[in-house]
Amino acid sequence: MQAPSDKLNPREISVLLRGELEPITAWSGRWSTRRFALHVAVIVVGAGFYGAAMGWWRDPQQALYVAVKFPLIILLTTAGNALLNAMLAPLLGLNIPLRQSCSAILMSFTVTAAILGAFSPLMAFMVWNAPPMSPEALSGATYNFIKLAHVAVIAFAGTMGNARLFQLLARLGGSRAVARRVLFAWLAVNLFLGSQLSWILRPFIGSPSLPVEFFRATALHGNFYENVFHSLLQIFQQFD
Amino acid sequence: MPASGPRQLGDDPSECVAIPNVIVAIEAILRQPRRVMFQLRQPGAGQLIVSMLFVSVVCSLIYGVVAGTFSGGTQLWAAPVKIAAGLMISALICLPSLYIFTCLGGSQARLVEVFGLLAGLLMLMTILLIGFAPVAWIFSQSTESLAWMGTLHLIFWFIATCFGLRFLETGFSHSNARSLAGFRTWVVIFLLVALQMTTALRPILGKSETFLPAEKKFFVAHWGDCLKGQGWDSKSESR
Repeated sequence: MQAPSDKLNPREISVLLRGELEPITAWSGRWSTRRFALHVAVIVVGAGFYGAAMGWWRDPQQALYVAVKFPLIILLTTAGNALLNAMLAPLLGLNIPLRQSCSAILMSFTVTAAILGAFSPLMAFMVWNAPPMSPEALSGATYNFIKLAHVAVIAFAGTMGNARLFQLLARLGGSRAVARRVLFAWLAVNLFLGSQLSWILRPFIGSPSLPVEFFRATALHGNFYENVFHSLLQIFQQFD
Repeated sequence: MPASGPRQLGDDPSECVAIPNVIVAIEAILRQPRRVMFQLRQPGAGQLIVSMLFVSVVCSLIYGVVAGTFSGGTQLWAAPVKIAAGLMISALICLPSLYIFTCLGGSQARLVEVFGLLAGLLMLMTILLIGFAPVAWIFSQSTESLAWMGTLHLIFWFIATCFGLRFLETGFSHSNARSLAGFRTWVVIFLLVALQMTTALRPILGKSETFLPAEKKFFVAHWGDCLKGQGWDSKSESR
């Protein structure tokens, strides 16, 4: 007889969303290729739909590109930091193997992607109601409203994903202090890599004055933090 | 010792009686909403959900005809189509986020139950709109002001929606939810989507040469334009 945990069950996503620690802790401790595939599928579909809604305002082709890029950032961030995150956990007091740290992070991204996917019809409806993207639209309230709506939804989805991750880490480590240390360390390295990946894979919302493209021609020129630094310099130079 | 908290669904034997047709469904949602909630958890709830959606579509079509009598002509068929389609699309757009919010709140409700409760909201709302229809018709025939009629319909819609949302909230309170904060956030989203739908599908009351508007607007901007005098006095403006 097949063990229940080996069955591919989409209802497991609602268990993750509810944060039912008993089954989630058991899942994180035992590798299941099918569950891994389910979580990756939710990330691809959920973040993909959200990406499509985000890029749609500029052009349907941009929607397609962002539908590919959005899940890609999540998956590349998880893969790129897998080793580092697995090393940081025991150093900060949580003795879990690489497989379990990967699984925990993937589950938190699954929660985030499921929330993003659920919001994608709402964002698509908002974009459908917006005036076409034009230079005038970018300088008006519509652009700022759409941008802020995306920030709010992504921030909410990310917060919920990390809240569930924190609960799991606290359960695995038996201490909220340890869980907090590990979560902040993982967040720091994931944000560091994720920001740069987002920079390379820009544009997302797009611009009416620039062509629709998967990568900008300057994708690999400079980096996110360099750009932030230059922006700060320009601001301070205005006060001189 | 008496149990604390809300009574369990199905405690009353009358709640366990199946709902065989749309007439019973209408009566049950008005008089015994807990019976509807209980039946939505039973196997074969799909038939009840289809019945509730059917009633919602029929009632919104009827209310739409009444709304369309304000301008007459093509609005007699355009208004019902837009109101029925707008309600259904709003519900469909908001369903995924409703399910996610209920899960995040710890609710054990399955997707089909959430869908059923949403269908119940639509049915209760549209039945109440039918109740308001004669009043709306009287005003439609006696006033020329588009803004006044628009406001009146919005008030009726708001009252009907409040009762529908109360049904939905009661349904979720029986699904072991730890918190209703997410649900209340969703209520705001649903209201915003439904209000925006009135602008996206305009004109619903007034006349226009095209079925859908050529210009995209957010509802706040559109209402602002209406209140500035563009749509107060004429049936030919789009609202």
